[in-house]
Amino acid sequence: MSLEILLAIAYGGAFLTYFSGKISQGLRDGAAVLLSLGTVLIVSSFYNVPAASVLYEGFLGLSLVLRMNSLAWFFAIAIVSFNALCVIYSLAYMKDRNEKDYYYFMLLLINAAMLTIVLSGDLVTFFIAWEIMSWATFLLISYNRNGALQAGIKYIVLSLIGSMCMLIGILSVYTSFNTLNISELSGQLTTASAGYKLFLLIIFSITFGIKNAVMPLHTWLPDAYTESPTPFSAVLSGMLTRMGVYGFLVILFGIVGIKSVLTLGSGFISYTKTMAWLGAITIVIPTFIAMLQNDAKKLLAWHGIGQGGYMILGIAFGTSLGMAGGIFHTLNHAIYIVLLFLSVGAVEYSTSGIRDLNSLGGLFKKMPIAFLGGFLGISGLIGVPLTNGFVSKWLIYKTLILENAPFLAFAALLGTWGTILSVYKFLHNLYLGQIPEKHKNIKKTPLAMQVPIVILSFAIILFGIMPGLPLKVINSINVAFGFSPLDVNLWGVVSEAGTLNMLNIFTALIVFGAIVWGIFRISRPATLTDQYDNYAAGAAIPKDKYHYTVEYYAPFYRMVKPFLKDIFDLLYQKVARANDFLCDNIRKIYTGYVGNYVMYIVFFMAFLIFIQLKWSVF
Amino acid sequence: MDRNQISKWLKNPGKMAHKYSFHVVYFCTGCGIIEIPPSITTRWDAERFGIIPVATPRQANLFLITGYVSTKTLKAIIRTYEQMPEPKYTVAFGSCPINGGMYYDSYNTITSLDKYIPVDGYIAGCMPRPEAVFIGVTHLWKLIDMDKADGYKRYREDYVHYRANQEQLYGQMDWPPLFPVEKKEQANL
Amino acid sequence: MNIVALIVSPLIALITGLFFLGLSRKISARIHWRYGPPVYQPFIDVMRAFSQKSITHGNFFDFGIILSLTGTIVLVLFLPIGGLWALNTGGLIMFLYLMLLGPFGIALSGAAAANPNSSIGISRNFLLALAYEVPLLLILLAVMTDYNTISLVEIVEKQAATGMAISSWRLVIPGIAYFLILPAILGLRPFEITGAVQEIASGPIAEFGGKHMAFYTLQHALQTFVGIALFVDIFLGGGTLFGLLNSLAGTVWVDILEIFIFLLKMVLVLFIGLFVNAVYPRFRIEQAMQYLWKWPTLIAFVGLVIVAIIN
Repeated sequence: MSLEILLAIAYGGAFLTYFSGKISQGLRDGAAVLLSLGTVLIVSSFYNVPAASVLYEGFLGLSLVLRMNSLAWFFAIAIVSFNALCVIYSLAYMKDRNEKDYYYFMLLLINAAMLTIVLSGDLVTFFIAWEIMSWATFLLISYNRNGALQAGIKYIVLSLIGSMCMLIGILSVYTSFNTLNISELSGQLTTASAGYKLFLLIIFSITFGIKNAVMPLHTWLPDAYTESPTPFSAVLSGMLTRMGVYGFLVILFGIVGIKSVLTLGSGFISYTKTMAWLGAITIVIPTFIAMLQNDAKKLLAWHGIGQGGYMILGIAFGTSLGMAGGIFHTLNHAIYIVLLFLSVGAVEYSTSGIRDLNSLGGLFKKMPIAFLGGFLGISGLIGVPLTNGFVSKWLIYKTLILENAPFLAFAALLGTWGTILSVYKFLHNLYLGQIPEKHKNIKKTPLAMQVPIVILSFAIILFGIMPGLPLKVINSINVAFGFSPLDVNLWGVVSEAGTLNMLNIFTALIVFGAIVWGIFRISRPATLTDQYDNYAAGAAIPKDKYHYTVEYYAPFYRMVKPFLKDIFDLLYQKVARANDFLCDNIRKIYTGYVGNYVMYIVFFMAFLIFIQLKWSVF
Repeated sequence: MDRNQISKWLKNPGKMAHKYSFHVVYFCTGCGIIEIPPSITTRWDAERFGIIPVATPRQANLFLITGYVSTKTLKAIIRTYEQMPEPKYTVAFGSCPINGGMYYDSYNTITSLDKYIPVDGYIAGCMPRPEAVFIGVTHLWKLIDMDKADGYKRYREDYVHYRANQEQLYGQMDWPPLFPVEKKEQANL
Repeated sequence: MNIVALIVSPLIALITGLFFLGLSRKISARIHWRYGPPVYQPFIDVMRAFSQKSITHGNFFDFGIILSLTGTIVLVLFLPIGGLWALNTGGLIMFLYLMLLGPFGIALSGAAAANPNSSIGISRNFLLALAYEVPLLLILLAVMTDYNTISLVEIVEKQAATGMAISSWRLVIPGIAYFLILPAILGLRPFEITGAVQEIASGPIAEFGGKHMAFYTLQHALQTFVGIALFVDIFLGGGTLFGLLNSLAGTVWVDILEIFIFLLKMVLVLFIGLFVNAVYPRFRIEQAMQYLWKWPTLIAFVGLVIVAIIN
């Protein structure tokens, strides 16, 4: 099967789904699920099958090229898989919403656009697909109206700035080299001057930095994640935001080339170091801001920013270990953040829309599957050993320590410890503790919601114990970029300084766990106790709410709150207001009185004549 | 002290461990609690017998009710007692829990604690000095040795009776019965 | 060696840890002019707890405490006790992450009990952990950067090669910082915030009784062992003592004597720590965080800067 057919199915299917929705709801749901599962199958058939084809010859004198290699396959399979899971999840979650045709259409269109981005072999295709993705995302973020409109505007403004930067970059590349094909460019750019390369990297870094929410450019993300419908939040956080990482990989290693990237800069300041430090800042600050959030989705959104920092930190060093860590973390992050969003969505569905961390609790007995998802999700997010997050974080830390960057390593590790605090609050306030009486008979989690959660939970454990599965693919990406391959086996990494073997840890935990559990079983059995038979100094337990949730880390909040304002967001808002004010004043020159307009024209002419007389420019 | 007799430890380690590791919940109902700080601190040092205060009944095995028991506090006493894990021992401290002491004719004082929860031993006096507390503990050791400190067993066996007494005082209780209470037996009482 | 260590080192850790708990009670008592309980008192307490009938709040309540104890046992396998170590994969980073399983398990268990006292205790525990992790991470990074390895075993071997207790003068400053945060890691008095008995009914373990309490005590003993043993391994050279055992090299006596030397060093560290414990009142959580983020962090930071510049 060729790549054009894949894209034709992806785009055509999206339109088909939309129109089948006009006929019947069931048909549309079936078409959406079939299409998304179908693309998963087709993409997986491309494993280890490099392919290239010309999509269209002579677009403004350029050819639009598609190509499939290990990097593209890795991202493509992740995109379509997460999208399929989110479509299945939407079947139940979106059941009672309006305008579902539009919702599914946009979801599938975004899927197709992301697929095009990773398959594109030239920058024009890349740019077109990027724009389709950005605009469709804007429409879906605003799906819920009200506050969502504001979030959507914020997103699209920043996204447009990014797109314009990319357009400038593309035009400049075209005028210099007369080609936009990525593989041709990588050869030609070696001759370019260091200054030009730096310009190119910075201009593209703004684009991808906005998409990947690197610290000063992150402000669109918290609102967008929070306001969009939850299954789409999952897509957005899982792979869509990480298109930024893909872009970084393409521009850094695919176009400019690692050798040139590492030489850019002088003395203490260099491109890679700046990028690494931005990554470190992106890890630490959002992680601590996340601790202050009371909205479950907003908390996860801030973690979405924070985890992006790890990926940047991994790939910024340009070693094979760091690359493996960064790319693997992209996949791992997608797995657990999607899982966490789906878990929150299940809670939202069952409690009819509550996701305020202060007013829930004790749901783990009523929604065991969603709780399992939440528990494994936060374990992955922290990086508890035997979950996938651990392996990629380990690779990144090790890179930092071996590359002699202890302060960056400190930032990364500190981010992890901040993560523990906030995600534990998330798990505790939603699922653990006392269940309020009104939530004792909540809606059950439907099967369509349970299936994606179970699959992703399984993936977390699988990739945690057998990190070799994805690392093999990542190794081939590394080789394609010209790095030395890592010595990877199924259970971990065998490299020169210190090995990682998850099988050892797994066996040790299982064996000792079995011993401890055995002792637990043979000692006197315990009586099962109700939540109202808790110790409360002999008093009766209040039935409505006896759960410590509000201001969970109160003493800490008091200490850090003044320092953890999102200053960049405030700055951008200030700029936006100033712009508003300026435009408002400019508008006032339209007085509606013709005499004024004549006067403007006369003044303008006088100004031009003055310039001509003085400097004779025209 | 038979703490060093290995044969006893081998025969019944659980019982011996209970004797030398009293984790105590003090129920500070009245003036009796005044005598507890000296007995657990430097002057008399109860910790040399393995006696330490703990915060929650879940971790405790000795329940010390220090002082008079009013109708209102009895409720909390019953609840705390029921939350302690078995085996558990109860010692009433001072004259008041025995017969009401100087408040024997108060409308609001429980004159016999034994009606509501089983008491394994009393330490009489108003107030008993810390030495008396230690003598009480050594007596409790003897009772445990002879399997006579069986209040928790009595509570389980005669739960219907105890619960009926409690309900007679309070009417409907706030919490469900600790052990299953069959309706028929209740009717007989 | 590995198979022997797999069985022996958790046992050594468990027994030593319980003795340390007893020792700390005894020493505190002596500092208070009391007679104090026998040193083996924690063993009696654990036996008593096992013989009691516990209560449970469901399977997750049990899972948490089992996870906690298992995680801490596996943690011990990473520690070189003299020449005894069972696992080395992943090095100090893996060690740092496994250190998390103990408190995390207790936190899950405590929260599943639906008792607000537990929740407050857990919140304090995590805040305290965040507070001491900042200097601890700086210290461990200084150590890893200085030895240029992430393997704990290699760090100990490099110290043993010089025969000295502290192999490089650069690590004296991080060592001092570690010693300052040691009471916080062990949860001793000035930082006894998590299980504040008088305020929040012993915090996360408020609902633990019977076997749950016994498991918690075992976990606590192991945690105490790990906290001190890490200090001895990283800064005091593990089981070596100025090349004292070089004449016995190659015999099995070296292994046994190394363990003894290791335990002796641990007792020494514990003693000094306890003198702080016995005379200090308890910090509030803000005070603890401010203290830990001020002096130990500053000292650890200076240490890391020195190490990073020299490297």
